[in-house]
Amino acid sequence: MQDTFAEIFGRPEGVIFWQLIAATRFTIFLSLIAFSGGGLLAAFVCFARVSPSVVATKLAIGYIWLFQSIPLLMVLFLVGLGIPRFLGIDISPWSAATFSLIIFTSAYLAEVWRGAFEAIPTGQWEGGYALGLKFSKIFFTIICPQAYRLALGPTVGFLVQIIKGTSLAYIIGFQDLMLLGKRWANAPVLGSEPYLIFPIMALLYFCLCFPLSCLARHLERKQSDY
Amino acid sequence: MFEFRFFEIYRSKQYLDLILDGVLVTGSLTIFSSIMAFLMAIFIAALRYWRIPVLGKFLATYVEFIRNTPLIVQLFFFAFGLPALLSYIWPFWCHALLALTVNFSGYFSAILYSGFLKIPRGQIEAAKSIGLKNLVIFKHVILPQTLHAMYPALCSQFIFVFLTTGVISEIGVVDLTHAGLFIDSRTFRSFEIFIVLTALYVFMALSFKFFLNLIFLKKLKPKY
Repeated sequence: MQDTFAEIFGRPEGVIFWQLIAATRFTIFLSLIAFSGGGLLAAFVCFARVSPSVVATKLAIGYIWLFQSIPLLMVLFLVGLGIPRFLGIDISPWSAATFSLIIFTSAYLAEVWRGAFEAIPTGQWEGGYALGLKFSKIFFTIICPQAYRLALGPTVGFLVQIIKGTSLAYIIGFQDLMLLGKRWANAPVLGSEPYLIFPIMALLYFCLCFPLSCLARHLERKQSDY
Repeated sequence: MFEFRFFEIYRSKQYLDLILDGVLVTGSLTIFSSIMAFLMAIFIAALRYWRIPVLGKFLATYVEFIRNTPLIVQLFFFAFGLPALLSYIWPFWCHALLALTVNFSGYFSAILYSGFLKIPRGQIEAAKSIGLKNLVIFKHVILPQTLHAMYPALCSQFIFVFLTTGVISEIGVVDLTHAGLFIDSRTFRSFEIFIVLTALYVFMALSFKFFLNLIFLKKLKPKY
C-alpha cells in the first residue's frame, strides 16, 4: 500500500500520507475503547443517578460534576505522569490514555443519558408503579426503550467529541495520528512542511468526524418528527 | 514513601508567581478570544441566515470544518503551518489567540445559527409588515430572542472549550498548563502539581459560570 501511495503522490508525500492514514487506526481504536468502556461506566453512573436511592443519586451527581469540570488534559497528566511518579509504578501510554478517556466519556455520556431519562414523562413511572412493578423492572422494560430513542442522536454526536479528545492523548506519548503528524511536521524533510501536514491531519479527522456529525443531526431530526 | 509534598510548590515564590501568571494568561486569552469570536459568530450566523449566495455556503463549510477537527490540530496549523506558508513571525500568544478565536467562532456561530432558525416565521413577517428593514429586524427581533434562548448552550460551550485551552501550552504560550509543566520539570512532584492545576482549572470554570450567570440575570433576562 505504501508503495502505491508513493507512486501516486510521489516521495516523500505519498509515504507520509500513507503513514498518517495508518496511524489513524490507533485514533479509531482508542475512540472505540473509550466509547464502549465509557458507555458501560456511564450506564452504571446513570442508573445510580436516576435510581430512588438518595446516596447513589448524590454520588452520581458528584461524579458527573467532578469529571465534567476537570479538563481532559489534566486527567491525562494525572494518570499518565502524576500517578506513576507518586506510586513509583509504570503505566503505559495506552492504559493511561484509555483510562482517562473512559472517565471523560463516562461523565458526559451519563449526563446525556440522564437528560433522556428525565424527558420521559413521570406518568410512565407512575403507571409502572401502579401496576405493582419494581424499580428495576420499570426502568429496563418501560423507560429504557423510550429513552434509547431520545438518547441515540446526542450519543452519536458525543462520539465526535471523543474522537477529537483522543488527539490530546499524544501529550503522554500515545502513538496516534496526532503524534505521528507532529513528528513529520517537525522533521526537516522536503515535502513534510507543517502547512501540508496539518491540513492533511485536519482532513483525516474531518473524514472521521463529519459522517458521525451528519448521522447525529439526522437522528435528532428524525427524533423531533415523532 | 507515599507522601504529599505540596510545600515544594507553595513555599517557592517563583512557582507561585508562575502559577498566578498562568491563571491570568489562560483567563485573559480565553475571555478575549471568546469575545472576538462571539462578534465574529454573530456575523457568520447572520450571513448564513440570510443565505448570501456563495458566502453562505462557504461559511457553512468553514463552520463544519472547525467543528469536526480537534482544537490542537487547528492550533498547530495556525502556529506552525500558516506562518511557514506566509512567512510572518508573531509571538506565541497571538497564534493561540487566533486559533482559539477561530475555534470558538465555529461553535458559537453553529449555536447562533440554529437559534436563528428557531425564531417563528410569523415574527419576521410581522416586523416586515410594519415596515422594518432587514437589519433592524435582525438587531431588535431575531438577535435578542436567540441570545436569550441559546445563552445556556453558549455558556456550556464556552466552558467546554475553556477546559481544553491547556493545549496552547504546547506551542509555548506561558499559560497555566505551561506553568505546571515547568514546575513539574523542576520539582518532579507531578502528582501534587497536577492536583493543584486541576483545582485551579475547576475554580476558574466555576467563576466563569458564576459571572456568565450574573450577566444573564443583569442583561438578558426579559423585562416583563
